[in-house]
This record gives sequence, C-alpha cells and structure tokens, in this order.
Amino acid sequence: MMRTVEVLLVIILLGAAYVATSSYIALPSPSTVSPVDLNQLAYTTLQELDSRYDLSSAAFQTNNLTAWGDLQIALAASLPANMVYNLTVYNVNTASNGAPLYSSVASISNAANLVSTDASSYLEASSNVTYISTPQQISTNGSPITLYILNCSDTEGWWITGYTTSSLAQTVYNLLSPYFTNTVMVQNTNQLNQLLSGKSLQGEAVDNAVVINTCGEAVPIPTSFSSPSGLNYTQGYQGGTYAGYDFTLGKMVQLYNWTWVSIVGYPFYYVTNTVSLSGTPNGFGIYGMYQVGSAGLIAFLEGLDNQPYTNNGGWLTGAPPGEVYLTSQAQSLCNYYGLYPSASQTSTRALPLSITGEYNLDVTTYLFDNATVNGVLYNPGAVFRHYVTTNVNGVEVTNYEGGFFALGMTRIPDIRLAALGILCNYQPARYGSLYTAAGSNRLVVLQLGTVGGG
Amino acid sequence: MSGVSIDHLIAIVVLFFAVLLFIGLFNQTLSAAVDYQRNTSTAKACGDLLDTMLLTPGIPATGTPIAFGLQDTSLTQYQLNPFSVMRLDSLPGAPVSYQKTGLIYSNITTSSHNYLLYPYSDMINYSTALTLMGINGIYGFQLSLTPTVSISIAQVSASPLSLSLNVTGTGFPLANADVNYLLIPVLLSTGSPDFETIAHQTGTVKTNSVGSASVTFSNFSPNPNLTYAFVAYSYLDGITGIGYYEPSHVGAQSIVPFLDPLSTLNVTLANSADVPNTSTSINTLYYNTTFILESQNYAIQETSLGSSNPSGSVTSGPGNSPMTISMGSYTPGILVIAYDNSGNSGVVMMPWGFSALGFSMIFGGTPLNHGWVATDLRQVQINGVSYQAKLSLWSEQSYSESG
Repeated sequence: MMRTVEVLLVIILLGAAYVATSSYIALPSPSTVSPVDLNQLAYTTLQELDSRYDLSSAAFQTNNLTAWGDLQIALAASLPANMVYNLTVYNVNTASNGAPLYSSVASISNAANLVSTDASSYLEASSNVTYISTPQQISTNGSPITLYILNCSDTEGWWITGYTTSSLAQTVYNLLSPYFTNTVMVQNTNQLNQLLSGKSLQGEAVDNAVVINTCGEAVPIPTSFSSPSGLNYTQGYQGGTYAGYDFTLGKMVQLYNWTWVSIVGYPFYYVTNTVSLSGTPNGFGIYGMYQVGSAGLIAFLEGLDNQPYTNNGGWLTGAPPGEVYLTSQAQSLCNYYGLYPSASQTSTRALPLSITGEYNLDVTTYLFDNATVNGVLYNPGAVFRHYVTTNVNGVEVTNYEGGFFALGMTRIPDIRLAALGILCNYQPARYGSLYTAAGSNRLVVLQLGTVGGG
Repeated sequence: MSGVSIDHLIAIVVLFFAVLLFIGLFNQTLSAAVDYQRNTSTAKACGDLLDTMLLTPGIPATGTPIAFGLQDTSLTQYQLNPFSVMRLDSLPGAPVSYQKTGLIYSNITTSSHNYLLYPYSDMINYSTALTLMGINGIYGFQLSLTPTVSISIAQVSASPLSLSLNVTGTGFPLANADVNYLLIPVLLSTGSPDFETIAHQTGTVKTNSVGSASVTFSNFSPNPNLTYAFVAYSYLDGITGIGYYEPSHVGAQSIVPFLDPLSTLNVTLANSADVPNTSTSINTLYYNTTFILESQNYAIQETSLGSSNPSGSVTSGPGNSPMTISMGSYTPGILVIAYDNSGNSGVVMMPWGFSALGFSMIFGGTPLNHGWVATDLRQVQINGVSYQAKLSLWSEQSYSESG
C-alpha cells in the first residue's frame, strides 16, 4: 500500500511541477509572434505622402484645414482598413544648451488612444529656409591668394569653339570667385603686362596667384612683347618666333609662384593680340594670332625650370585612345563642390609624365587618371609644380616655385574642369550653416496600430 | 501473490502511465515555445527579405539578373523599376502560347482587352528568385504588388458621352482628390483607324466626399463609327492611382499585343484569330497606335510612337506574319491600339512599364499547406503610381506545427 501512496505523491509532485511550469511559460499572443512591421509601414507611408512634398507643405500649414483634411484622407486611403493611426507634427527648436526641443503643433488620428503600437518619424524642412554654406578662402602660408582670369578684350581664342573668352571668364568667375579673397578680371593685355612686371591691378597680392587663361590654346601677349617697338620685344620674339614670350612667361610664373591654368588643347600653341598682331594669321584664317606651334610649351617649361631657351619645336603631347576618366578623388569632390562635369572626356593633348624629370616638376594633383600611349604614361589633366632644392646651412630645402595646370582635352572646353582642378588642388572647405535653425524644421511622427485579430 | 507484490505492481503501472501523461504534457508546452521561436524567426526574415527586394536593384530591364531586387536606381528608396517588375512571372494568369512566334507568354490580363503578355523565356521565375536570394530550400515566398488606389470607370450615357469615376484607396475612399483625364476619340474607317483630336478631351475633376466624380464630354457622342479610350490619373498628397476604360468591342477578332523581350523594345501585334494556334481562315485587321505618358505634374500627354509600323494591318492565317512595332525607349506609358475591319473593331491598351495601367501581380509560390505564414507590408511607388508590396513568407524546413 505504501508503494501506491508513494507513487501518488510522485504524481502530485509532477502535476504541481507542470502547473508551475505552465504558469511561467506564458506564450505571447499571435499578433506579437508575427506582427506586421508597423515601424517600416509607417515610414514608407510617410515617404509616399511626401513623394511630391505634400506632407512637407501640410506640416508647415497646420492652420490650413483643407491641407490637413486632404492629408488625413490620403493617409486613411493608403493604409489597410484594419489600421489605426495618429499623425502628429512637432515643431523643432533648440534649447539654450543646444538640445532639440519638440513641441506638438497639430495632430490627426482615427483612434482615441493607441496602445502597443509602432511609430516612425520624418523630419521635414521648410521650403522657405535657405541653407547657406560659406566657402573657405584659399590661401598659401596663411595669406589669401588672388585669382586672375585673363579676359583680355584685345585677344582671340582658339579651340574654345562655341564660347567666347568673356563667357568662359564669366563662368569661371562665378564658379571660383567665392573661394578667393580677390578675383581680378584682367581686361586687356596692358593689364597683363602690368602683372608680368609684378605690379598689382587693384592692390591685390600678385605672388602665389592662380592665373586662368580663357583663350584656349592661345596666350594673350602684351604689345610690349609683340610689337617691334615694344620695350620687351626682345624677350617676346626670340630666335625668330614668339616662343620667346612663352619662355618669359615661364620665368614669370616661377618668379611669382603663379599657378598657370591652360583650359584646353595644346598649351601655348599660339600667342594672340588683335592690335599688334592684327595682320598676322594663325594658319587657319584667324588674324591677330601667331602660331608658335609646339615650341611654345617647351619654351614655357624651360623658362619655368630656369633652363636655357632652345626654341625646340618637338611635339610633347599624346592622344590616349578612347576616353579618359576623372580620378575617384575628383569624382568624390564633384559632390562636395557641386560641380558635375562628365567623368569621362576625350583628350588628344595629354602631357607626358616624363616632363616631371626633365623640368623638375611634381604632380601635386591628378584630376584625371593616367593613360598609356605606346607604353608611355600621359596625364590629360594634372597640376604640375616646379620644385627647387636649395641648401640652407647644410640642409636641403625644397620649395615649390611656379605651377602649371594643363587640361589636354579635345575642344570644346568644359570650364568646370578647370574650376574643379583648382578646387581639387587647394581643397577649400565649405562651412555649412546650422541645419536646425529655429522654426525651419518640423518632425512628423506617424503612429500605427492594428485593430482586431489580437 | 502477496499483498506487497500487488501493491508494487499497482504502483509501477500507475507510475508508468503517469510518466507517459506528463511527458506528453511537458512536450506540448515545449513544442509551443519552439514553434514560437521558429515563427518569430520567420517573421523577422519576412521583413528583411521584403526590404531586400524593394531596396536593392538587381533585375535589369535587359540581361541576366545578378540579384533579386526591384529598386529603381535612379530614384529614392521604395521606388521600384517598372520594367524590372514586368519581368516577374505572375501567378494568376493562365499562360498564353502563340504559334507564330513559337513562344509561351506570362499573362496579366485585367479585362478581355487589356494585356500584359511577356515571354517566359525572358522572365524571372520563382525558382530563379529563390536561388538569387539564397533561400532555396529554406523559405518560400509570395510577393504581391497591388495598387493603393483603384479607379473604377463606367459609361453613364453615350450621347453625349458621360463617364462616372469612383476612386478608392485600400482603406478609405479618396475624397477631394484631383483626377486628370484624357479622352482618345477613335474614328473607325475602312482603312486604319484614326486618332482624333477634339476640344476639351483633357481636363481635371475633383472627387466628392465618397470618392466619386463624373466627366461629361458635351461635344462627343460615340457611335458605331466612333469609339474611344479613356485614361484617368487620380492623386492626393502623394497617393496616386490610375484607371482606364474602353467601350465593349465589336466582333470576335481583335489585336493581341505580345511583348518581345525588353531588350528589343518591340511589341508584336497578333490577330486574335491566330492565338494560340494559327487560324486556317484569312482575316485582316487594320490598326493604328498611339502612346500615352504621364508627366511630372500628373498631366497626361498623348504622343505618337514614331516607330516603324505605327499603323498597318495584321492578317490571320498561315504565311501571314504578325506586325512588330518599336516602343523606342524605356519611357513608361500606355500603348493604345485601335483596330477595325469587317465587323471587328475596338481599342486595346497595353502597359509599357508594369504600373502604367495599374495592374496588380502576384509572384512566387503558394502559401497553402505550408503551416504558418508570416506577412509584411510596405508602401512603394512604381513610376509614380502608389502600390502596396506584401510579402508572405513560410519556412520550407520540414517540421510540423504542434497543437
């Protein structure tokens, strides 16, 4: 009898254990096992309501009953019939300690209260707010530098088909002047002559400047260099060619540590002055322009590197097959600066990288990836800087003296590439204004719940 | 037998049955907990997979997909590419074969003359989708895309033409919504039908508090020689829907548009007498085509295709080839085909881009007999038209539900 009693006790014990276990294992309701992801549904609903900025408009017009009525209808129509919702708009302000403050502005709902629901939020910006970014001013060694744009009225352009020098100058002015403390339009070759003699035009700093030549393959030449009666004629016309002027230009670029920008084609292929060279054709029917040929570029590089002038007419550039491409860094900076030239271009006047060794140049910025032509490396757009090494008290010190940014694109020029190259080289920052300006943002919160079915 | 032995025997028997009973009870409790874990895991996977489908591009308009994704790369998230969706093999429609091309077509047909027929040879089928997502043998799914807004249109009177429109969302009538509409008059003549231009053929009306509106064309009354097609876009605060209507067709024969693979940009126009098998009789239908597209401001524009064979004839019977027209580009819109001859006339509309006529589709397997099924829902847009994407997911692992 005792055995039976013991077994009954064991059964009672097991029963108690089962009851205790069952009471602790409380399984959730079916709706919590597999809920519709209300958070994501609310988010996609808000996104859809704002797909044509109607939600944004309504969030800032909470007193407009029509707009709010339409919003409620659209919300109700887009949600499944078993959904309850609460859409609330909050004004976003900033407390004195910088923390965001949210105050409820308006609300629409089809339920008295929503328990066990999910919500998503959407930040709306007012269409009346202008977000300003302030560009950093480009400087060298702490001193702001000057941007010169050659917009000489007494010159012609070449390989700038479809544009004029003044239209290109105006465009590049709009693109780059916010980044420079001083931007000076050089209006004629006399002003250029003044600059070449180291005199400022408007009190700006001449040294370390960026000089953009908008005449394409032609370079403005002042009358003093191109007229036989000019004071500098012997420096401009040497060895029976105006390549001597390019040689002098190279020397000046080194002397003033300028960065010379050639926007398209073969650099220094022509010199132009519509007054002193008015009777000179460039070989293609354009007067006021003298064809220096390929000797101009070599003469410039010789001048830049303080080498003797050789009047060498050798052809330097190469034509990479197919297309050439912006470097990944340049493409990334396109987004930062809001400049979007095509990432692929055609180049038939790319400079060989071998000039770095011949003329003591470093490539400080690659705008385009290198390309190979017959086993030789060329670059269609890069900033070359001339380096000079000196011995100071037994220590070798290297300084940059002069720079050259050549875009060897095939005509027609995209002046945005020139602007992008300068920005890639100096990389000035853009300082954005505070996003959470008072009253400019509203937070829309959509809370969803289901009715029926647990 | 002694009393002690009997006591022992009874105790063992009672204990044996008690243990069996409690093993069953505990097992039931534990099984329910295990099911809960499995179902929760499936539900989580459901949301993840749905987002993966909707937020990743993968199925190109042309070529072989490298992933299963429907996102339109040129737009923001939860906006789907109308041509990627077109390549999905929709479940409900019975396949249509066409002997003259030798192809079998997937079929989304919303009425007797509104088609989306796409060749299976260029489609993405369910098993490919499972493989691309890496869930073959683990999960099964069914993806449905349903327009958020539906517009039902009926002809109230013919002289003058008056149409009633009823606009409803999934949960509520779309009251106070703007409806842009376009009437396309078609003059049926002995040769190719002509698309006519009349005054006031486009316009905007507002729906009332129950989502209804009516449109009357006082200068247009259809008759046996004059028919029409009607297209309407409704929109309110980003919620957009599309509706269409064409009168009943005359005669047994019509034009059936078969999409060629999207890479060709071509549509093959067949005589319905040749579908599925080539007819022995020879009948000619003259046709004319036009193209409708929606602009950014919801306005509806009609434009000519400018392609080869925008008008012509399709003859049934052996030796007569179907006509091929080129859509020219991947700009979504509605291809409108009017046809006429020998007592057969009407207008046929086909979407170029899945959402152009607000078609719905179901892709994937069937959830029947798979035990527990998780579902999730997102709001999406396909070429500006609002859709709801619903994914049903179930486990393909072999275990049975308890209880």
